[in-house]
Amino acid sequence: MKLARNQLTLNGKTVSFTDGETILTLANRMGVHIPTLCHDPRLDPVGACRMCLVEVTGFNRLVPACTQKATPGMEVITENARITRHRQTLLALYMTDHPQDRNAVEKGAPNQLLDLAEQYQAPLNWGRMLPIRSARDDDRNPYILFNADLCISCARCVRYCAEVERVSAITLANRGASTTVATADNASLLDTSCEMCGGCIDVCPTGAMTEKMPLTRNHKPERELRKVRTTCNYCGVGCQIDLNVDDIANDGRGMVVKITSPPPGTTVNDGNLCVKGRFAYDFIHHPDRLTQPLVCNENGELQPTTWDDALEKAVNGLQAVAKRYGADALGFVSSSRCTVEENYLMQKLARAVFHTNNVHQCAAT
Amino acid sequence: MAGLVNTFGAGAMTNSIGEIRDADFLLVIGSNTSEAHPIIAMEMKRAVRRGATLVVADPRAIWMTSIAEKHLQLKPGTDVWLLNAMAHVIIEEDLIDHKFIAGQTENFDAVKQTVADYTPEQAEQITGVPADVIRWTARRYASTAKAGIYYVLGITEHSHGTDNVYALSNLVLMTGHLGKPSSGLNPLRGQNNVQGANDAGASPVFYPGYQRVDDPAARAKYEKSWGVSLSPTPGLNLNQMMKTTGNKIKAFYVMGEDILLSEPNVLHLERALNNIEFLVIQEPFLNETSRFADVIFPAAIYAEKDGVFINSERRVQRVRKAVQPPGEALADWEILVQFANRCGADWNFPGPAEIYNEMVKDVPRFAGISHERIEQTQHVPGLSGIQWPCPGANHPGTKYLHADGVLRGKGLFQAVQYRPSMELPDTDYGLILSTGRTLYHYNSATQTRREQGLSTKQSEAYIEIHPRDAQKRSIAHGDRVQVKTRRGSVHVRAFYSRQVRSGCIWMPFHFKEARANILTNDVGDSITGTAEYKVCAAEVTKLETGKKDTLLFPGAYFVER
Ligand code: SF4
Ligand code: SF4
Ligand code: FES
Repeated sequence: MKLARNQLTLNGKTVSFTDGETILTLANRMGVHIPTLCHDPRLDPVGACRMCLVEVTGFNRLVPACTQKATPGMEVITENARITRHRQTLLALYMTDHPQDRNAVEKGAPNQLLDLAEQYQAPLNWGRMLPIRSARDDDRNPYILFNADLCISCARCVRYCAEVERVSAITLANRGASTTVATADNASLLDTSCEMCGGCIDVCPTGAMTEKMPLTRNHKPERELRKVRTTCNYCGVGCQIDLNVDDIANDGRGMVVKITSPPPGTTVNDGNLCVKGRFAYDFIHHPDRLTQPLVCNENGELQPTTWDDALEKAVNGLQAVAKRYGADALGFVSSSRCTVEENYLMQKLARAVFHTNNVHQCAAT
Repeated sequence: MAGLVNTFGAGAMTNSIGEIRDADFLLVIGSNTSEAHPIIAMEMKRAVRRGATLVVADPRAIWMTSIAEKHLQLKPGTDVWLLNAMAHVIIEEDLIDHKFIAGQTENFDAVKQTVADYTPEQAEQITGVPADVIRWTARRYASTAKAGIYYVLGITEHSHGTDNVYALSNLVLMTGHLGKPSSGLNPLRGQNNVQGANDAGASPVFYPGYQRVDDPAARAKYEKSWGVSLSPTPGLNLNQMMKTTGNKIKAFYVMGEDILLSEPNVLHLERALNNIEFLVIQEPFLNETSRFADVIFPAAIYAEKDGVFINSERRVQRVRKAVQPPGEALADWEILVQFANRCGADWNFPGPAEIYNEMVKDVPRFAGISHERIEQTQHVPGLSGIQWPCPGANHPGTKYLHADGVLRGKGLFQAVQYRPSMELPDTDYGLILSTGRTLYHYNSATQTRREQGLSTKQSEAYIEIHPRDAQKRSIAHGDRVQVKTRRGSVHVRAFYSRQVRSGCIWMPFHFKEARANILTNDVGDSITGTAEYKVCAAEVTKLETGKKDTLLFPGAYFVER
């Protein structure tokens, strides 16, 4: 079979690749799944975890699909007995010092190592080693928790911090089995250049980097929560976020117990979030929320009332002013915090119901 | 964003956020991007990593300057001088795009004449940016094909904010950096749905979709659609409403905003609110303004309702209800419908999708976008949401504007002359005060200060002051100080910072115990009414010595040990 200059065979099928494409990206594009642990499309590939090894004719050893560039005429095999054996061995080694009980460890994000070990039926009886990686249990930062026992030293978090957020607050330290994720002088993240974007949590394949709050509040693990895709309510970037909802909490009203980012490559934020978008959701269920309409009594105090009463007082109040001074004595202030539909209704209320163009949103910038 | 509507015909980012990573030259002006728009900053970091040249023009040394090729540390409020001098160089060295100017623009000669006087040497005197750096930046900008400009409140929050936008538009038009991927003029919106609120007509001069209220044809269209007669006179903008509160404006209906925390010169406004006759507030939380309210409606927040937001890059995206609102709180749209119907209107909207459909019926540029269509794009990789203009159901949406010619027809050059800021330092008030936001809080912080984590990272109001200015006033790092302007004073902690220029101080506006907007000047931009948050004259005096054991880091955060 004659192949064109930009073609190779993937599991026997002829496919075209683009300049500089790796086997992994090509395979993903073709819908062929290759398992990975240290790879992330936002990061430079490093080939550290060896999970993605595939067979390429002409190479004696298996090659990492995440770093190997596609070249013309390559014959790539992504699944066969040899590859499966390799993956089982690798996973069995990873598992020797990794907790095996999903219920005990999967409190934060899903653990992809456990998933793979299950999927490849990796032997779990190759002896147990106690993990000897050091953590920073006393880190008093409010959001990010590092559970060293779950770390597989893939360095995704460290690379994300250096390459995407570019603050290099964390680093790999020590060698061999004691390799861990550390900060300079083991300082709390609060005292480093960390900007609390939480990208380390997002990229971590095992949940070793995880969010503190849901754990300290004893919320359900992520896999038992419902995800609702919506738009962040802070700045004008419009990042897409997934509200993780516990439907039966909060007397059945539902409770947002954490926020995660959609996978990279799917939305405007490419899997990234900032500190506000990822962590600042406490206000949603805050006890200070207003739960009843309030009206001002004769003594100038605000008092709870019914919707009926509040609406009537408000309508009468505005209509009286309009009658006395004309509609242009009314001002309607709309908000960029509200939806497009609500802004539409507010200006329609001013214009069509009260006949004034005195309507503006706060912060028209 | 009237400035851009006037020059280009549409007030929004001309490019997409996803195009930033492919740009070869980025000019970031008046935008503290890594704190105000962290995810856009990530895209810029990605571009720089790829080899793009980043130039930051800002009075403060911000995080982005650490990866910038050049930092133009101009004096606050001198942007027009800087930009006109760049235009001067581009014209003088004939780096202009003759074909684009001839075919797609008008009024170039006026600008050419005006900027002839703005030499880089003189600009150096006024802005403090070296002439050769201005020349270098102008050349690099003009001669790089994929060159994008990014700006935010730093540019528009001046009494001459619209002038700044015009000066930027001129640079874009004379170099033809428009209507191409990664190359254009991009205002980054400060708040989640500012774009959408503008698009939806929450404006005293525009119906939805920027159709003017004083245009008889537009008015006739809406009178027909809504079945009522409409006022032909443009309304008051927010700045005008606030200034005439109590005498002209006698009642307010305020939805989702704490005007007392977010509007300038609040002491004046506070007095004025005592004199109005009726105030209705619709809010998720009590806030500063609530004290003056006659009626307060408890409102749902974004996680409790459906609808759409429109982001800076014109992308219409869904807001989805995930949980029930607390108690009897209702979504803002539900409250508005009930309110209108009690006033005798006959609004019948089963849900936000129907409201949306009514809106787009009269706005061609959104006509192809619907809740259902956004739903369908949701799981197409890289395609979630749809960018306007999108005139028909088969139109894919628009990644970058002006591809088939400037939307206005011809791009309009607008000659602008430098006007000093309304209030400059003098013997009584020797410093220039600018205000802004930080990464860890958001506007009036009613949400973020209820977040314990964010408050550990940044719990207290502060100013940044240059050590030289501080020492002149015997102020030590960490001291408590009084910041005073002609309008009022607040007490905060002083941080030594070399991020601000000497002669300038900077203060975040999130803290209600030290409201920066007690200090700021409420003179509005003549066109948009946006107030001058970025420049006013101030003085600082020491109150008490700071705690010795308090270690303070200037700028981003401080730590107590
Ligand atoms: S914490 Fe997670 S992302 Fe970081 S090195 Fe360990 S396993 Fe990898
Ligand atoms: S996550 Fe951060 S950058 Fe994204 S929209 Fe929210 S506030 Fe803006
Ligand atoms: S994914 Fe390729 S080596 Fe880790």
